[in-house]
Amino acid sequence: MKTWIRHHFYAMHIAIRRLLSTPFSSLTNIVVIALVLALPLLASSILASMEPVARTVSVNPAITLFMKGNVPLAEPRDRGERLQQENAAIIDKLEVIDKNEALAGLRASESWSNALKVLPRNPLPNSIIVTIKETENRANKAQELAQEWSNLENVDTVQFDSAWVQKLEAILSFTRGVLLLLAIGVAVVVIGTVFNTVRMQALVQREEIAVARLVGATESFVRRPFLYLGALTGLVAGVLSILLTTFGLGSLNGAIARLSESYGTDFVIRLPDAIWLGTAIVLVMIIAALAAQWSMTRNSRF
Amino acid sequence: MIQFQHVFKSYGQGANILADINFDITPGEFVFVSGPSGAGKSTLLKLIGGLEAPTRGSVIVKGQRMDQIGQRARPYLRRAVGVILQNMHLLYDRSAFENVMLPLAVIGLSSDKAAARARAAIQKVGLSGKERLNPIALSGGEQQRLAIARAIVNKPSILIADEPTANLDQASAQKILEVFRDFNRVGVTTLIASHDLELLRRHANRTLLIEPGRFRDLGKNT
Repeated sequence: MKTWIRHHFYAMHIAIRRLLSTPFSSLTNIVVIALVLALPLLASSILASMEPVARTVSVNPAITLFMKGNVPLAEPRDRGERLQQENAAIIDKLEVIDKNEALAGLRASESWSNALKVLPRNPLPNSIIVTIKETENRANKAQELAQEWSNLENVDTVQFDSAWVQKLEAILSFTRGVLLLLAIGVAVVVIGTVFNTVRMQALVQREEIAVARLVGATESFVRRPFLYLGALTGLVAGVLSILLTTFGLGSLNGAIARLSESYGTDFVIRLPDAIWLGTAIVLVMIIAALAAQWSMTRNSRF
Repeated sequence: MIQFQHVFKSYGQGANILADINFDITPGEFVFVSGPSGAGKSTLLKLIGGLEAPTRGSVIVKGQRMDQIGQRARPYLRRAVGVILQNMHLLYDRSAFENVMLPLAVIGLSSDKAAARARAAIQKVGLSGKERLNPIALSGGEQQRLAIARAIVNKPSILIADEPTANLDQASAQKILEVFRDFNRVGVTTLIASHDLELLRRHANRTLLIEPGRFRDLGKNT
């Protein structure tokens, strides 16, 4: 066990020494990987920040049933109870709005009160507002219900604008797709960069590898420093990419804050949580280490 | 300790460099392998060190057939054989001391014990005080001694050296031979390849003579 630990310490020591012995080359590789990593990290940050907003919005898709003008309040109340019973699985909340209460509410609003004064009678109908539960494919389900309810007796109009919910979901789905492509691109760049770095290192360290084998080193002993070299490159590049993204988001959020303030919100783009970032760095380290192992196996047959 | 049984060696489709070689070396022997350049002395040593595989026949080192030993077990057998090749393969990006430390890192010795053992090996070959120097700063004879220190630091039971005195003046060659003698006296089986007939005369021992197409065991005191 002690020997095993010593071998790993030795490999780590050699890997750090090799990284430091070619500082410019090592730094260039790390910066290239970090910049490439920063792109999906930025996209993930946007996605992670957008999703709660999207959830808040899409959790309450509402269908409004406007009754015909002469229908008394008892009718929507009765209709509401039946709808609630028939669709208990999908309806989150159902509210019957009395047209007189609705008018009173509008009159209380300063911007509406003057306009309403000129009207001879209440133009508003009694209505039912149905809020749909947050389920998978809720936009389509709500669309179907809106279609079905528009044919009900005494219902004049059904209002449900599902397009924006579908668009938002499509945008998020598209962003996830882009993120996947970016992640694949990053993996390719990491593999390519580390593979080439290790190939060069294997050629430079050719003599050392030959001597190590001569004095009885196992292939694991020979390869291990290169594995660490790959993993360390991935680690440093991962941390650097987080710093770069944090710096980038700092300036981006300034502009976003001004925009969102004008809409009365305080939306900002934040980095994904620490567990997500840690997992991403570990993944990059594993990919880089495997690329190093692959390169070493291919380029040390001498 | 070392047995060659009908060993043939050729590279690719070329002619045999070694043809039907048979000999047996007992533990603690001091053996010269002699012959003209290109006769196959280095190849014979590499077969013993497991650096080459025979085309035919069997090479048995410490009871193990080198051609049958697995890829995983081969490094462990190599640790029992100290090899000094003609090109000494010293590492010029580190100090003499670090060169000697490499085989100890391979076996995973603790740094304290490894440092003590490396110092002892350096002292044995007469390089004390030059540990911190880069091998490039050492003379030819000193570099050869450094290669010996690296080969013996893991206390091998077999020591093989390919032309260790080539390009050295007589005094330096003498010192190098004395170093090998010292190890042989404590029981290390030693094989030295050399084409220097003068050296062989002065250090008369068992000699294996390889000539193109011919192999002779000249025995001791030839």
